[in-house]
Amino acid sequence: MADTHPANVPAVQINGMNKFYGHFHALKNIQLTVHRGEKVVVCGPSGSGKSTMIRCINRLEEHNSGQITVLGTELNDDVASIDGIRREVGMVFQHFNLFPHMTVLENCVLAPMLVRKTPRAQAEAAAMRYLEKVRIPEQAQKYPGQLSGGQQQRVAIARSLCMEPEILLFDEPTSALDPEMISEVLDVMVHLATEGRTMICVTHEMGFARRVADRVIFMDAGEIVEEAPPETFFQSPSSERTKQFLSQVLGH
Amino acid sequence: MNTLANSAAVAPPGRVRMLRKRYFPTPLQGVVSVVSAGLLLLISWKLLDWAFLSAVFGAEGSAAECRAAGGACWSVIANRWRIIFFGLYPHAEQWRSALACVAVVAMIVLSCVPSFWRPWRLAAVWIIGTAVYYILMKGGILGLRYVGEEQWGGLALTLFIFVATCLIGFPLSIVLALLRRSELPVISRGTGLLIDAVRSLPLLAILFAFAVVVPFMLPGWMQTGKLYRVVFGAGLFFAAYQAEIIRGGLQGVPRGQEEAAMALGIGYWHRVGKILLPQAMRNALPATINQFVIGFKETSLVIVVGFFEILASGNAAYGTGEWTFAYREVYAFIALIYFVFTYSLSRYGAYLERRMAISSR
Repeated sequence: MADTHPANVPAVQINGMNKFYGHFHALKNIQLTVHRGEKVVVCGPSGSGKSTMIRCINRLEEHNSGQITVLGTELNDDVASIDGIRREVGMVFQHFNLFPHMTVLENCVLAPMLVRKTPRAQAEAAAMRYLEKVRIPEQAQKYPGQLSGGQQQRVAIARSLCMEPEILLFDEPTSALDPEMISEVLDVMVHLATEGRTMICVTHEMGFARRVADRVIFMDAGEIVEEAPPETFFQSPSSERTKQFLSQVLGH
Repeated sequence: MNTLANSAAVAPPGRVRMLRKRYFPTPLQGVVSVVSAGLLLLISWKLLDWAFLSAVFGAEGSAAECRAAGGACWSVIANRWRIIFFGLYPHAEQWRSALACVAVVAMIVLSCVPSFWRPWRLAAVWIIGTAVYYILMKGGILGLRYVGEEQWGGLALTLFIFVATCLIGFPLSIVLALLRRSELPVISRGTGLLIDAVRSLPLLAILFAFAVVVPFMLPGWMQTGKLYRVVFGAGLFFAAYQAEIIRGGLQGVPRGQEEAAMALGIGYWHRVGKILLPQAMRNALPATINQFVIGFKETSLVIVVGFFEILASGNAAYGTGEWTFAYREVYAFIALIYFVFTYSLSRYGAYLERRMAISSR
């Protein structure tokens, strides 16, 4: 059994990673392994470094020390390997970040056509398949500005899926949405979680964490304070800081 | 109250009420409206009388006839239009200059049509347009008589300087704007310094420098005609201003746009070409059209380094012999030509804004 077998390589492995903004120590000695197919929810108070951490995984942020290995490739200054990793790691943003000057369909086919050199017909067929999966195929010819927030976020998820990524990162995908639109996005995410893709979600939706996560990670002040399966995490958290956070989030 | 009943019974039609509300809301404003309208009418009547009613048209009208009539003397245009349009270009070859103007205008119009906005189509239009213009104007091949750049003039020269300035300046401005955003301080600060330096100099000084000073600094094999050096100087000046306009447009594109493209694995050139620049140009469009209009009007400055573009040719058109009194007519005619071009540019800008607004609702 060779350990180069894809199934045995962890999706993400972070070793002693540190990140500074000037003198501010944003991430402290992060140690994290995410296995393939695992669903991980990252939570914690704002400013705790959760977004920064997952943004390091596709190098939207550069780490200052330590090691990040994604699907067996180490992230360093090599531009080719960064682009290679970004092809396999999709990301869904808090503010959707759809391209406003392109239709929904164009948003979805752009990267497959430019990066994977997929022919247009094939890329459009795949895009329609994913738009159906997020239940929005009828909006394909519209521009993002014509859609509601929830619809835009579902398009953003479809756009990520069009690159057929191994790993999906979610950076607070429901935080910018009106309350009545949160569930339509969470439903799509719950459905995705049944498909075997690795998912790392920064979110405050504890209900989602309980239903979907294999593991919940709690961060505070740039450190991973606790990681545990959801039932342990919610019922018997070991750290005081976790207890305090949970009482604030679930308290009302 | 009976005003209520009254206004219901004899309510003036909507348009009249609107006029009253706009122009006669108070007695004082009513007086201002009447006086302004009177002045406008008076000026319009004077202009109409001068330009048409008492004017002399046609090439037969002599200078003496014009003076007797008291109105505009359009005969000067009928007699001297060739100088205005073609400058010192040899009389027998002026059809070539006219065709060259048509080629340039066709090139401008085609590059404004959205279905030509594909790199190879634009390149084809520009290469063919420039080649046709150049062969027609300069000659020396295909049995056309050779005509040196020093004999080019009039509208043909104005159009050449404008188009060449834009073709050099616009791509250069994009390059400068991108370099200015570089993460390497040497490059971004160096570019910033260049842009600021060029913007700090008057265009006149730059034109002089490229016409007179640059030849001393270039090695022999890089010596080109004065016209090309001057056009390059104008292009550099245009680029310095336009680069800042594009940089402003780029700053208006949210950071998340580039991040989303990066997260999808899209490389730098595609990010710039497909995501950043299209949105930046949309933000920068009004200022960009402004810059093109200014660029068109600034072509007249090349007169100081000895080129007879349309304004200088106009001076020559009335400056000799019997027509010296008819400068108003010549300037009015040239103003009309400028207006046709710059107003078309403005309307085209407005069309582009409407077109882009459709996709950004």
